[in-house]
Amino acid sequence: MDRRSFIKWLAIGWAAFAAVIAGYGSLILRYMFPNVLFEPKQTFRAGRLEEYEVGKVSERFKDQHATWIVRDREKIYALSTVCTHLGCTPNWLESDNKFKCPCHGSGFYKTGINFEGPAPRPLERFKITLSDDGEIVVDKTRKFQQEKGEWNDPESYIRS
Amino acid sequence: MEAIKDFINLVSRPQIFFPVILAVFFFVFPPTERLLAINKKLGLYKLWTKRGGIILFSFLVIAFAFGLTDPHFTKIVTKPDNVPIIGLAFLVLFFVWYSMKQAWENDQRIASGLRPKEAEDAKEKILVWPDLVYIELIAIIGCTILLTVWAIILKAPLEEPANPTVSPNPSKAPWYFLGLQEMLVYFDPWIAGVLFPTVIIIGMMAIPYLDPNKKGCGYYTFRERKMAIAIFMFYWLVLWFSLITVGTFLRGPNWNFFGPFEYWDVHKLEALTNINLSDIIYMIWLKQQLPQNILLREMGGFLVLLFYFGCLPLVLAKSVFKSLYERLGVFRYSLFVIFLLMSIGLPIKMILRWVFNIKYIVAIPEFFFNI
Amino acid sequence: MDEQNGFLRKISQTQLAKAIFRTGIPRNRRQRMMIMLNSVFLHLHPVRLPKHAVKVKYTWCMGGLSFFIFLVLTVTGILLMFYYRPTVEYAYGDIMDLKEQVPLGIMREIHRWGAHLMVITVWLHMFRVFMTGSYKPPREFNWAVGVVLLVLTMLMSFTGYLLPWDQLAIWAITVGSNMAGATPFAGTAGPGSSLLALGDVNFITASSDARFAMIGGRFIGEAALLRFYVLHCIGLPFIIMIFMIVHFWRVRKDGGISGPI
Repeated sequence: MDRRSFIKWLAIGWAAFAAVIAGYGSLILRYMFPNVLFEPKQTFRAGRLEEYEVGKVSERFKDQHATWIVRDREKIYALSTVCTHLGCTPNWLESDNKFKCPCHGSGFYKTGINFEGPAPRPLERFKITLSDDGEIVVDKTRKFQQEKGEWNDPESYIRS
Repeated sequence: MEAIKDFINLVSRPQIFFPVILAVFFFVFPPTERLLAINKKLGLYKLWTKRGGIILFSFLVIAFAFGLTDPHFTKIVTKPDNVPIIGLAFLVLFFVWYSMKQAWENDQRIASGLRPKEAEDAKEKILVWPDLVYIELIAIIGCTILLTVWAIILKAPLEEPANPTVSPNPSKAPWYFLGLQEMLVYFDPWIAGVLFPTVIIIGMMAIPYLDPNKKGCGYYTFRERKMAIAIFMFYWLVLWFSLITVGTFLRGPNWNFFGPFEYWDVHKLEALTNINLSDIIYMIWLKQQLPQNILLREMGGFLVLLFYFGCLPLVLAKSVFKSLYERLGVFRYSLFVIFLLMSIGLPIKMILRWVFNIKYIVAIPEFFFNI
Repeated sequence: MDEQNGFLRKISQTQLAKAIFRTGIPRNRRQRMMIMLNSVFLHLHPVRLPKHAVKVKYTWCMGGLSFFIFLVLTVTGILLMFYYRPTVEYAYGDIMDLKEQVPLGIMREIHRWGAHLMVITVWLHMFRVFMTGSYKPPREFNWAVGVVLLVLTMLMSFTGYLLPWDQLAIWAITVGSNMAGATPFAGTAGPGSSLLALGDVNFITASSDARFAMIGGRFIGEAALLRFYVLHCIGLPFIIMIFMIVHFWRVRKDGGISGPI
């Protein structure tokens, strides 16, 4: 074997070795992402429109489904209770008329728009629809973000 | 009594005490000969003598004891998870003093033509058995006793069972990450939580390559490594230790700031209405709507960053860091200055926030890109 | 005193003692050197040192204490594992039981306060090494290893924080793990992640980003608890031990503890 072909075979050998190592690495990485998640269901029924007062924030589903249902004069929408800063759960302060996050002090208006503290963007809204029997259905798998202009999407609110 | 407490509450606001520390710091740890001369004129080096240490620590102990007369202060300080930080506070200050004391003593020896104390000791060789193993044994026994007593006196905290829907108010990270959490007030998570920690780790590993000074290896000294020690102390005391203290003791409900003797009122209101640089440029200065184009909108912020990371290193290389630049070469100098500017970005952003209510220099929430 | 020594000497001369210790009671200079060389544990040290390197004034003992506390944490950690089940259903109750139903109910305290103490001693060790300029050549590499050990210590502590499964635990970890979600390009809430898409299909979603890899789910739950448990008890200790071996080895190979030349 001459020098040139030796170097060639050496290169091929090392390249194959590197490829195998990279392959194992990516397999291990993929291993950390399971195919099935055993997490609770992401849609829930939230009762009828009449159950929500205009201008109020309902905390009925905060504990169970991490959702606030807010009704104003025109719309009813479902706000996620996950702070867009680092995922704490803000508190609704009725007297101050705002959501305030206890972790880093982000504040949000009733609409979910951020106005103080470190939160970089407004709270997310969930898909909210009326079922055939007139009940509100919230689907948490579909999210609407204000900064992407998605709050005008007809699925992100119900007319009240 | 109340007046003193009110005064302490006032001066412990980061808006006041942080600039004060920034102003005083480089006189206490002077990085250059000129500042060292001022330090000497003011007699600040006397802090690193036995007498200075005694004064420093009696002051600390008295301040702490005074604090304990206040029920609110006592409540926070004696929270089991906060106890290690009290220990840390005393230990850090003690060891800063202790190392600086030895450094000044060695500096005096070197100035009078002698070799450092360690060099004198090092002439004598001794056997590890028994001289070192016994010291180790004593240290181990002491440590065991400390841990056992601590464990008996203080119960490990256990709060209510986990509830994913109710965040405790305030929710705090483990104390050694509170410096990072404090940064989160001023920077977005991708900077404070990802970029900065990465840069801190890489920057620390890079220290040996960024410090071209061959002197000062193996003994305590300050004069021979003024710059290195001043910069390190700045990170260690100002950006790390003091931020942890602030995060632990002075951040209360809703992550509002509270003085050490202030009651943690959940309803304390603090106007935090912050605006972006682009808002200032377009809406206040130019009195017009924000442009639609994102790049155009954030042009001002990008220019600021370009100047900060692009031009400033060049200016510094020609002025303040001239000799350093010559010694380090282009590559290492750029690394050094970029790390330095990044970390100084933190106090700069803090001050911008306090003075101008600036939230982001560059704000592109559409791509989660906020600086 | 003499009698005791006589007794000790008698024991040290038995076949059993000689078989185990080889050197006997170190009385003279030669034996004192041999004992350091013969014992696998003591052999971590050199035989002779310059005097300054032994003084507490110079070393503060912080590196050694960090290692000692690591050993304490290993032992108490193993003991705690006998009673702890890493599931959402049992974790909190098991911690309660550790306090109330298990004899010597301070095991968790020692573990927790020891962990805090180790973070402190590791920091102070780093501080001492900096103040004595011990990171300078030829010890640059060992300084880097030390930085890795510091980070690993904090990660160990961080993963352990979740295990009691109380409010303190999950919210600290929620905040911490959401930072991973903000990783540029690799996290859903990080800059640039929305650019990694083919048409409408996003590659980086809540179930495929850096945060997900860390907590094994979209929020802190069963999978996160198990992952943190495995990392805390096996994964990180395994890595930290490798780095510690390198660290100690290099202390010796780089010329022992630093000192003036």
